[in-house]
This record gives sequence, C-alpha cells and structure tokens, in this order.
Amino acid sequence: MSAEVLSKAVNLLSFVALGLTILVIVRPRLEGQVSAFGLQSFVLALLSALIAIHSGSLELFGVGIVLVVVKVILIPRVLNRAVAKIGLARVAAPYLSTSAALLICALLTIIAFYVMTPIAASNPLPTADAMPLAFAGVLIGFFIMVNRRRAVTQILGFLMLENGIFLLALLATYGVPFIVEMGVFLDVLVAVLIMEVFIYRIKDNFDSIDVGQLGKLKE
Amino acid sequence: MMLLIVLLIPLAGAALIALSRRRALMEVFHALATIATLGAGAAAVAQVYGGEVLTAAGDLFRVDALSALMVAIITFLGAIAAIYAIGYIRAELDGAPLSRPRLFFALYHLFVFTMLVAVTADNLGLMWIAIEGTTLATVFLVNFRQTRTSLEAAYKYLILSSVGIALAFIGTALVYYAGAPNSGEIAVNWSALRAAARSLNPEVMRLAFVFIVIGYGTKAGLAPMHTWLPDAHSEAPAPISALMSGVLLNVGLYAIVRFKAVVDVAVGPAFGAGLLLGIGLVSLSVAAAFLVRQRSYKRMLAYSSVEHIGIICLALGFGGYWGSFGALLHVVNHALSKSLLFILSGNILLKYHSAEIGEVRGLLHAAPWTGALFLAGTLALIGLPPFGPFISEFIIFRAGLESHPWAASAGMILLVVVFGGMLASVNQMLYGTPSEGLAPGDALRLWLAPIALNFALLLTLGLTMPLSFEAALKQVLQVLGV
Repeated sequence: MSAEVLSKAVNLLSFVALGLTILVIVRPRLEGQVSAFGLQSFVLALLSALIAIHSGSLELFGVGIVLVVVKVILIPRVLNRAVAKIGLARVAAPYLSTSAALLICALLTIIAFYVMTPIAASNPLPTADAMPLAFAGVLIGFFIMVNRRRAVTQILGFLMLENGIFLLALLATYGVPFIVEMGVFLDVLVAVLIMEVFIYRIKDNFDSIDVGQLGKLKE
Repeated sequence: MMLLIVLLIPLAGAALIALSRRRALMEVFHALATIATLGAGAAAVAQVYGGEVLTAAGDLFRVDALSALMVAIITFLGAIAAIYAIGYIRAELDGAPLSRPRLFFALYHLFVFTMLVAVTADNLGLMWIAIEGTTLATVFLVNFRQTRTSLEAAYKYLILSSVGIALAFIGTALVYYAGAPNSGEIAVNWSALRAAARSLNPEVMRLAFVFIVIGYGTKAGLAPMHTWLPDAHSEAPAPISALMSGVLLNVGLYAIVRFKAVVDVAVGPAFGAGLLLGIGLVSLSVAAAFLVRQRSYKRMLAYSSVEHIGIICLALGFGGYWGSFGALLHVVNHALSKSLLFILSGNILLKYHSAEIGEVRGLLHAAPWTGALFLAGTLALIGLPPFGPFISEFIIFRAGLESHPWAASAGMILLVVVFGGMLASVNQMLYGTPSEGLAPGDALRLWLAPIALNFALLLTLGLTMPLSFEAALKQVLQVLGV
C-alpha cells in the first residue's frame, strides 16, 4: 500500500471515529451510546490493522486484535449489562441541550486543529495529517464526561477520551510499545469493571445513577 | 535480582492474604509481607547508594538514586502504617465478616506493589500503567466504610484520577513522538531519553510537559486538579490516608520530576520552572483558603498535603542546587510528618467517632498520648523547629528569595496564613472539657509505637544533617542533572 493511499484511508477512518464520538452526544439512550463506542473501537482496530500492514509491524496487528477483544466485545458487554440492570434510568439526561452541545463540539474541534496542526506539521509519517482529528476526539470525550449526568455516559466519555489518545499515539508514532499498550488495555478493562461496581453501589445507595446527586461532601 | 524480590514480595503477600481463610492467618501474612518488603527494600536502597544501579527484567526496571529514595519512603512508611493498620482494623472491623479484612489487607499490599512498580519502572509507559494501577488499587479502600460519603469520594477519585492520568498519557505519547524521528528506535526509557534530550523537538516537548504536569499533577494533588483529594483522603481508613497523603502524592510528583529533568535539557529550564512556580503558588493559595476555619481535622490534613506539594513544586521551580536539594528534603519531611498525623487522626476518630473539629473537645484530657503527639506532629508539619520541615522550608525559601523573590515572598505569606489556620484548629481540639461519658484513655496506644521512629527521624533532620543522608541526596541531584 502506498503512503498516499494509506494517508487517505487513515484520514477517512479518523473522521469516522470522530463522528462516532459526536454520535454519543446526539443519541438519547444509553444502549445507543454504548454501541457507538463499540463501533468506534472497531474503526480503531481497522486503523491499527491498516497501519500494521503498511509498516509491516506484527506487534501492531496484535494490538488491533486485543483492541477488538477488549473494547469491541468485552467492555460494551459489561456496559450493556450495567444498563440492563439499572432499569428505568436509561435516558441520558445531559446538562446542556443537544444543539448547544454540538456547538461546543465544533469549537473543540477548531481548538484541536489550532493546537495540533503545527505539531503534526513536523511529523514525516503519512498518518500525521489526521492527528488533529484524534485530538478533537480527546477533547470531546472530555466534554462528554462533564456534560452528562448519568454515570454510564460519564464512563463512556472516559472511554472515548481513552480511544482518542490511543488514536493520537497511533497516528503520531504508530503506537506506543507493545507491552505498554497491553498494560493500558488491562488498566482500562479493570477501571471499567470497577466503575461498573460503583454504578451498582450508587444505584443502591441513592436509588438513581444520577451523579448530580453526589454532592454531600462539602466544606 | 534484589529488585525483583522487592517487587514480588508485596504481590505475593497480597495473593496469600486473598487466599487466607482465617483472620489470624491474614494478619500473619500481612505482618510477614510488611517486614519482608521493608527488609528487601532497605537492602536494595543500600546497594544503590553504595554505587550500584539495579536493573531487572531486561530494561523494564531500573533503580537509580532517585528511584531508591522513593523506594525507601514507600517501604518505610508502608511498614509504619501497616503495623498501625493491624490494630486499627481490629478495632474498626470487630466482628465483621472475613471478606472485609481480607479485602483491606490484600489491597494494602497491592497498593504498595503498584507504587513500587511506578518508581522503579525505567519505561515511561510502564510507569504510567503502574500509576493508574495505584488508583485502581486504592479506590475500594477509599470506599471501605461503604457509607454514602465514602462512595461519593471514591467515585470522584476514580473518575478524576483516571481522566488526569489519561491526560498524562497524551504527554507520554507526545514524548515518544518527540523522541521518535531522531533516535529511529523510539526512546522509551528514562536513561535513553535523558541521553537524547538535546535532540528532542522542543515544540512538542513543551506541549508534552503541560499535559504531564496537569495529568500527574492530578495524582500529586496539585490545585486546581486537587478536588478529589480532600474527599478521598478524609474518607479512607486512617492507615490508607497516611499512605495516600504521605507517599502516593509523592509518586505523582516523582513522575513530574523525571519528566522535568528531560524537559529542562530539551527546552531550557525556564519553561518548566515557570509552570511549576505558577501551579505551586495556586496550590498554596487554595490550601491556605481552605485551611482557615476548616471544620474537619482529616480534611485539614488533606489540604495541608496540597499545601506541602505546592511548596515542593515551588522549590522545584526555584531550581538550582539548593532549590532542588530543599525539594528532596521536604519530600522526606512531609512524608514523615503527614503519615504520622493521619495515623493519629485514626486514633482520634476511634475515640470521638467524628471527623468534625467541633466535636473533638479536650483531646489532651481524653486521650493524652494521642493529643500530645498530634500537637507535636502539627508543630512539625507547620514548620517549627526543632523538626525537619523547618529546615527544608528554610532552605527552599532561602533559595527562592535569591532566584525568584516575588514568588518566594508570596509563598511565605501564604505559609503564615496556613500556620495560623492550622494552629487555631488544632488548639480547638486539644483543650476544653471532653463530652460526658467519654472514658479517658487512648485508643490503640501500643499500636502507635512505630510513629516514634517518625518523630526520631524528624528530630534528627531538624537538628543535624547526617552525612550519609546528605551524600544520598547529592546522588539524587546528580541523577537529576542539577
């Protein structure tokens, strides 16, 4: 595969990944948000595979496979289990309206291009052009965490942020070393499992998963 | 080999405790793992300061003088808090099902393990994984009492620390990126990165360091990313608070110091210094604001940690030989004094069953040992002679007045505010008449014995500077290239 074709494919897929992040903001129900995350992870796995073929890196191919197992299969399954158990509270309940949230997404994307374009310009890799898109994904993931009241959406925001960082590292340096990548997957998986336990505990204690209710601890 | 043993003991200890079926057995494994970790840690530290550099598992782990200082702090205070933890858990979990102490003791050693991995990892990515691991190991300990407030604290801690650490990963990835084009092979180790520092892209390194300071600064408890800290440190059981405040914050700081040593070479020292001075002053101001008229003594100690980490950041910002020397010394002094105070706070909580300062009256009367030691510890912490923190703060601000007079003066004024605020709060607790029906006598008096060591060390550092210790700190400064 020539560098030019790779560059175009990577740009396209990164764009799709960013679109899926924004989809979490638009989707009103938690199940839909979880599948948007699963799909995004699959796109990232595809990207890893493409870059692996281009650079002939077997390790990166392995990363893609583990990514599918952890983020396309396991984590969405855990989250769907949580959504099923918490019952009624399936509507996402954001603080801002969808249109205001989309406006902020647009602003964050502009900021991402402003910050990342000069950094990416010095990068000789054919994938570097898409770095601002990945960074926009990081910022929007961050925004999702702040804007959504439901614990599940907050966790999805965290995962989207994590995906954005993975993509950024992938585009900038063809990924961090294999052993580090595996450790990160392990951490993320354990973090999500712990967060799941906390969703249940919050539900048991407060009879809702609205994290806005967590406001007892004050000065 | 020694290094591998140090890392494996707490891991094995956690596994053995998780498999134990009897409470007494758990305590035995807990004690054995604690002693073994301390012994192995001391041996490893002695080897490093004897001039060796320990490595393990290829190039994944490497202990130089800076790592050794951290290993010494983690294993020593880990042992002090562990001994008190036995008594504390007996008192707190009297008659509770076996799964509770099992969870506590197993996570305790897992926590120590993740911290040890974080400071001995030579690979930046592995260090990141281990620091995220410290959050995952402690989150159930913060929620250990299973009250609504501890649940809130733990959830906040988990989410905020995970996000912070994610930002640190962007910084780490950017550092990889800055190193990639030049060295061909990505420079992933501290040693390789230091060697290649001059050829790193300064533009990328600046952005990376901002992410590193925000990210690991969240773990270190720097304001304005500190908001989880007073909640988590005040809700966790006392021995865990002691470790989180006295030791874990330093692990976050350690990461920043490691990166700063590289950034200073890559982009010049002014950039990192400015960033750390700013964030240090913000932390000091926030802490000072919340330490005046603070209502809970555990939160008071937590905010005081924000203050002291801020002071250490200022010292790193002042830089030069004395600034850096003072920073290292203050890390040690703060760790010693804060951990003993949190241990004593456990004793107060067991006595009064409340963390409110207003509820604690006549501490010197009701629990004379606890009260007197709490007073002495507070005096040490706020920087009065003859204790160590006085010396380190003196060195830091002496250096600061020469290099950055404005920042140093602002810091000293804030220090006075903190001094007054904390002394007033502690005064309220010590005197007055205890409420009726409170039987006089200390809770867990004998279990407090280990903190005598903290006091002995604080006095030693306050009155003299042992030659061997000074030599060790000089070795650390060499690693940092100061």
